[in-house]
Amino acid sequence: MTEAVAILGTAALPVGKWQTAPGVVPAVLEHEVLAKLVMEAMADAGVDKSDIGSMIFSLARPYTQQKYFATFMANYLRLPCAGSVAEIMGNGMTAALAFQGAVDEIRLGKAKVALALGVNFETATSSADHMMSSMRTTGDVDFHVPFGFTPISWYAMDAARYIHEFNSSREELATVAVKNRAHAVLNPIAQYRKPITLEQVLAQAPIVEPLGLYEVPGRADGAVCIVLASEDVARATGRPYARLRGQSFFHEGAHQINEVPNDMIALIAAQTAGRAAFAQAGITPADIDVAELYAPCTIVEVLASEAFGLVPRGQGARQCAEGQTSLGGRIPICTSGGLQSRGHPAYVTPFYSFVEIADQLRGRAGARQVEGARLGMTSAELGNYNAAMVHILEAVQ
Amino acid sequence: MTLDIVRVDRVRAYPPRVTAFTQRFWDSVAQGRLETTVCEDCGKLSFPPKTFCPHCWSTRTRWTGLSGHGRLYAQTMIHAAPAIFRDEAPYRVGIVDLQEGLRIATRLLSDEAPKLDTPVEIVTLLYTDGPLFAARPNG
Repeated sequence: MTEAVAILGTAALPVGKWQTAPGVVPAVLEHEVLAKLVMEAMADAGVDKSDIGSMIFSLARPYTQQKYFATFMANYLRLPCAGSVAEIMGNGMTAALAFQGAVDEIRLGKAKVALALGVNFETATSSADHMMSSMRTTGDVDFHVPFGFTPISWYAMDAARYIHEFNSSREELATVAVKNRAHAVLNPIAQYRKPITLEQVLAQAPIVEPLGLYEVPGRADGAVCIVLASEDVARATGRPYARLRGQSFFHEGAHQINEVPNDMIALIAAQTAGRAAFAQAGITPADIDVAELYAPCTIVEVLASEAFGLVPRGQGARQCAEGQTSLGGRIPICTSGGLQSRGHPAYVTPFYSFVEIADQLRGRAGARQVEGARLGMTSAELGNYNAAMVHILEAVQ
Repeated sequence: MTLDIVRVDRVRAYPPRVTAFTQRFWDSVAQGRLETTVCEDCGKLSFPPKTFCPHCWSTRTRWTGLSGHGRLYAQTMIHAAPAIFRDEAPYRVGIVDLQEGLRIATRLLSDEAPKLDTPVEIVTLLYTDGPLFAARPNG
């Protein structure tokens, strides 16, 4: 790595339903929501507007009426930028790529301070209609979609395979949803905050077997602004910050399934990206104090935690059931509540992961605080973890 | 090897787009044959069929027949379906590893959830507007 980069400020909209249907008065509009978060994140960071050199946005959903949203916001905020103003898209990895884009602006010397930000508004469109678009994102439009695959159906097949290979069970996998809800209860910006029991999870309507309603992510709106700075700028503020210590990306060159039969539930991309990020950071998975993993369904958290080496292969569901991945456990995973309970406004979801890790590493996670958290990690993915992006962050008080 | 042909008395909910190149694949499926392309340089198969080899990027590929037999690697029943598939829900889909060493994803014809690794065969689904294919437990 060249210049060290730090997360210095964050602000996030509570995840939930915010988008208003066309014609509704008063409308809740993306630019007003995001501008407010920019003000809050900048106050948190303690740097000046004139320090900002770049703004890297996650792409908005097609349901956002204002197009060319980034340049519109440059005007709305009256923010001249000498670095870059751009919108990034990469499926569920979108916000992680935008975050990395902002990091790179600083590393390349294009900016001393860069914003990674964006808004995902979608809930005014029904799920059945939304799926008409999303079914074309996770598969081959001509050789998969005609059979009716949906985005989470691929994860459901991971679950079937995992149960088959490791003698696990839906009950064991479902403990992830219970654990994540218990975390979300403590998170003021989580979408679902009412405690749930394993029995309640198992009693929900099936969505994609063996997964029911509480084992898959709901749909949500969200918006986040993250202020990134070069470490000299961060240090000069005298405030605590989270320093980026390792980063890696790997795409396995397959989408959803590998045409050459492989071990689908090993998540090769996550294994590969994880190893590289840990090596860059000079640590091992055992050194991680808290992990915020991109895991739309219970099974995905299990597979990703195994692929990153946070839990042994085949033991992820069992160790969750034992409480090892809960707050207070050996390796707390998704202390925010994860995608099932914190919520999953897909194009900004990884931003929320950075917000949670930055809160943990700055000691401001409140009742969710992992005692003495020094090293945190985030992951993001696309497809069926066909690509993975990993960031490792370190507390600097 | 020929595939059993199962007639389906409706139109396909979301038909594949057919190109000048992939037309042969779908025409073959309609006639009960499962085909794909093989590389004349490295010998590897690919699926879906392509005009080039994704493994070595050779542009010398030719059509070859597949047995239509394999094993069920994974499966699920989809209850929450996109609007266009809603009247078919719930429906079962799966991932099949074909004997020739190709992994495909397709509709799975089975009332019960078959045990994974169970043998399956590919069949032609002949809708009123054209073909698709599916897997079903074999014997």
